[in-house]
Amino acid sequence: MKSMNQFVDALKRLSVQISEVDYDRRGYHLEVSMADNQVREFAKAMLDNEFYLVFVTANHVKPAIEVVYQFAHFSTPCRVCARACVAEGEKISTISDIFHGADWHERETKDFFGVNFEGHPNLKPLLLAEDDADLKPLLKSEKMLKNVEEIRWQGEKPAKPAAAGKQAEQKAEQS
Amino acid sequence: MKSETNTQQNQSFTLNMGPQHPSTHGVLQVILEMDGEYVLDPQPVLGYIHRMHEKMGESRPCRKFLPNTGRMDYVCALPFNHGYVGLIERAAGIEVPPRAEYIRVITSELNRVASHLLWLGAFLLDLGAFTPIMYSFDDREQILDILEEITGSRLTYCYFRPGGVYQDISDKFIEGTRAFIKRMRSRFSIYEKLVATNIIFIKRAEGVGVISPDMARRYGVTGPLLRGSGISYDIRKQEPYSVYSDFDFDVPVGENGDSLDRYKVRVQEMEQSLRIIEQALDKLPEGPYLGKAPKKIKLPPGDSSFSVEAARGELAYYLVGDGSEIPYRLKIRVPSYSNLSVLPELGRGILLADLVTIMGSFDLVIPEIDR
Repeated sequence: MKSMNQFVDALKRLSVQISEVDYDRRGYHLEVSMADNQVREFAKAMLDNEFYLVFVTANHVKPAIEVVYQFAHFSTPCRVCARACVAEGEKISTISDIFHGADWHERETKDFFGVNFEGHPNLKPLLLAEDDADLKPLLKSEKMLKNVEEIRWQGEKPAKPAAAGKQAEQKAEQS
Repeated sequence: MKSETNTQQNQSFTLNMGPQHPSTHGVLQVILEMDGEYVLDPQPVLGYIHRMHEKMGESRPCRKFLPNTGRMDYVCALPFNHGYVGLIERAAGIEVPPRAEYIRVITSELNRVASHLLWLGAFLLDLGAFTPIMYSFDDREQILDILEEITGSRLTYCYFRPGGVYQDISDKFIEGTRAFIKRMRSRFSIYEKLVATNIIFIKRAEGVGVISPDMARRYGVTGPLLRGSGISYDIRKQEPYSVYSDFDFDVPVGENGDSLDRYKVRVQEMEQSLRIIEQALDKLPEGPYLGKAPKKIKLPPGDSSFSVEAARGELAYYLVGDGSEIPYRLKIRVPSYSNLSVLPELGRGILLADLVTIMGSFDLVIPEIDR
């Protein structure tokens, strides 16, 4: 990654929504929302900027399942959390040929949520048994399912972050 | 070593390694496509000890999930405790007294040394060296005794609480830890003579299973494996959580990214952990060991993430709260999962015996991978 600004500019050119968030409260630096057809371009941009894939997972909300990607960087403290919506029964493109580690993460997401990754070479059950392929254990029941607005960060007045954590941050900035 | 084998059609055969195989260290199965003694395609099969910890986390108040965290990586449970309480504290804005943070660092680092010691013995046992495990388990036993006294358990710790730790450390604990540091420092020269200069060990480990920095990035390899490949990446330095920024320690790195470098990195990491523990004991502040945290912790709406450096690499917890006590979504990213995913690429065209070396050098804990 050449510089943080150039990286952010490169992401903005992809016309994804990008916003900086409070690391002390959220544990990551940049929040990205994108459409389901932007996933591959976004992943390529992350690879070009030398990020590594932390995980891929999903979150079941109304109206659609969100696929969540987290990336971090080996030399610059920059953690990126990205979301893409995929309607139930729809497909989302795989990134397993860009980040090879995504292979297992996508298979796990298929196990737990039934999300189909288009172009994945081997989308067989990974952690669940073959017989339980239709179990989708992390999908919420109708009663438990929340609207997407209810689980979004409300921007409420932040409570005091852990004192020690704050000191650590300040020291890291100074050095 | 041959990287390409002269395969004639129908000459290859399938070999099952595991799930009951001593060098998979748990119930991991690897299906090997073989050509004679050469591995053509190793495919790990996961899920034998899958318990759906994430679902358990999403179906109970967040405090009640704490015992589960110590049961994923049972060899190095305290960093798993640490990541989870850190996440809850971050999401709910709970303050932690400095003494508690210091105790967390001391116990986590002790646990890291214990974990690396177990790996050291088991790895060399995989390579056919029986003696080192006797020495390393002797050392590890000291740590288990020390930690048992304050945590109440020897393996699956549940010692940290949101806002602090379960109980204060005693003078006996401090004395025991200092004595252990002294003892352990005198042991490194034994390991050096016994293992690091052993020609058989070097021949078995050198140049075997080379992970390039690029490969590490594509697969998300972290921890000692990544540092063995020469990348100085440690969450304790990069995104210092708890009070790690208060201590002076180095991040050991290797040069070639082979199994020998991974050995060297882990041994040096033990020395660095001892340095951290020593400094933390010297600077240990007075005060409460458990801060004020509500009995029922409400997780505000929104997502948050917390990463710690576990003994095997980056452990990340990702939480989505909805304003209730119960997490709406809890994702656990475990280090060995991504580390093992590199095996199909790394194990192509190598000797079966080298595959055992590689898997040994990975320091796999299967209950952590399967969750």
